[in-house]
Amino acid sequence: MRIGNCSGFYGDRLSAMREMLEDGPLDVLTGDYLAELTMLILGRDRMRDPSLGYAKTFVRQAEECLGRALEKGVRLVANAGGLNPAGLASRIREVATGLGLSASVAHVEGDDLMPRASSLGLGDALTANAYLGGFGIAAALSGGADVVVTGRVTDASLVVGPCVWRFGWGRSSYDELAGAVVAGHVIECGTQATGGNFSGFLSMERDARSLGFPLVEMSADGSSVVTKHDGTGGLVSVDTVTAQLMYEVQSTTYLNPDVSVDLTSIQLSDLAPDRVGVSGVRGAAPPADLKVCVNELGGFRNQLELVLTGLDVEEKASWVRAQLESRLDPRPAVVEWTLSGRPIADAASEEEASCLLRCTVKDPSADAVGRAFSSAGVELALASYPGFALTAPPAKESPYGVYRPAYVARDEVAEVAVFDDGRREVVA
Amino acid sequence: MKAPLGTFVHARSGDKGGDANVGLWVAQGPHRESRVAWLLSLVTASFVRSLVPEAASLEVDVFALPNLGGVNVVLHGLLGEGVAGSTRFDPQAKALGEWLRSRHVEIPSELL
Repeated sequence: MRIGNCSGFYGDRLSAMREMLEDGPLDVLTGDYLAELTMLILGRDRMRDPSLGYAKTFVRQAEECLGRALEKGVRLVANAGGLNPAGLASRIREVATGLGLSASVAHVEGDDLMPRASSLGLGDALTANAYLGGFGIAAALSGGADVVVTGRVTDASLVVGPCVWRFGWGRSSYDELAGAVVAGHVIECGTQATGGNFSGFLSMERDARSLGFPLVEMSADGSSVVTKHDGTGGLVSVDTVTAQLMYEVQSTTYLNPDVSVDLTSIQLSDLAPDRVGVSGVRGAAPPADLKVCVNELGGFRNQLELVLTGLDVEEKASWVRAQLESRLDPRPAVVEWTLSGRPIADAASEEEASCLLRCTVKDPSADAVGRAFSSAGVELALASYPGFALTAPPAKESPYGVYRPAYVARDEVAEVAVFDDGRREVVA
Repeated sequence: MKAPLGTFVHARSGDKGGDANVGLWVAQGPHRESRVAWLLSLVTASFVRSLVPEAASLEVDVFALPNLGGVNVVLHGLLGEGVAGSTRFDPQAKALGEWLRSRHVEIPSELL
């Protein structure tokens, strides 16, 4: 089974869905749209309009690509539902109807714990979503879905789900599930598996072509081959695959809701140009609790960036710092200064003769870091060090969110596949 | 002799909340087995703190993945309150790995 990826984050290359459908054969095309910060962004969307809260770019991609996917029989599986998978599913049905297409659209829900956040001890959260596994996606595909959209499933679950559907793995097929988690982890960040953000870039052809998105050829035993469509840019090598496996793992055991993966068991092999084999992966029972992505309001922040040029940079910095700090009343909870770089002596350009002094402030109250802060900075414009300049006009304060992981007992979360006809199946 | 860590070590880094996460591994190439053995013995929490002075007082975990030829390193709290709240110059630690690769370390000449 060939499973591709066409998105590593909300904002990734819009044309990737079309490219992945057109440039070669696939059975399933997945897309990851959710980072921790994305949940917060979608949370703000949803506050403005309760019908939103999903990744809007997926709708645009579906408008362009749904017909092609249906024609080729490629299932689309994406976590683009964000905080509102039901809303995205109905939006995709509208798209299909508008295009005169007949598509079965399902979604997976149950991850959103906000309605019960306080009773689950999750505090004063802006968003709270349990990371779900792949069995809800598998149920949706088994129910005949052409398109499955989910909320917060783990990134790897987008590959695990289709494998469970196709290969009929059970809950205790740990080694197979572990193989699929590893394959999913390799492709979930899109072109980071095919030469993007890659330390070995000097060894690649660096032409103007876009990097191809990755795909995995999955076998029933959980082993896989990582590759990309022929003729696309980039590189798939043992090193590009290792790059993706080596980071974000935080342990030698990679925990997923369906399986705990022994990362020390992974074997990679260079099979052919742009083809890397992944085998030997061992799995064990998953953790008893599910991880929850919690975003809370951290407070408000603001920043001033000052240009310091030429001679006596340290003295210029310490003077303006003392001036600004004495004008901050009340003083924000956090005031941080960084001086980045130092001017080159006798520089032939003004830019090389300059460096940047940044002041970042944070506070639980908007007022302390809002106009009071930016005005205090601006009022120094003609009253401070020689050559006073700001890199940007003063701005309003902006709220910031703080992510923290939390854990809930598995039986607190009901994972539900909701089919095109509205029928609901609780996933056991 | 002193040479950049990135002479034959690759890296990728990123964020998980307030923690920075970086993978370091030996690129495919000559002397790989002995280079991997050297890297695995080199990278300890105190080695990481010596390359990243701002982590001096932070908890640092190093996980060896010899099958992949390297280590995963977690620098707890390097990013403060995380991407949206961090005051750090590179709030998601996206370039932390490339910075580490540019640090000069003592490399046995037979591995070069």
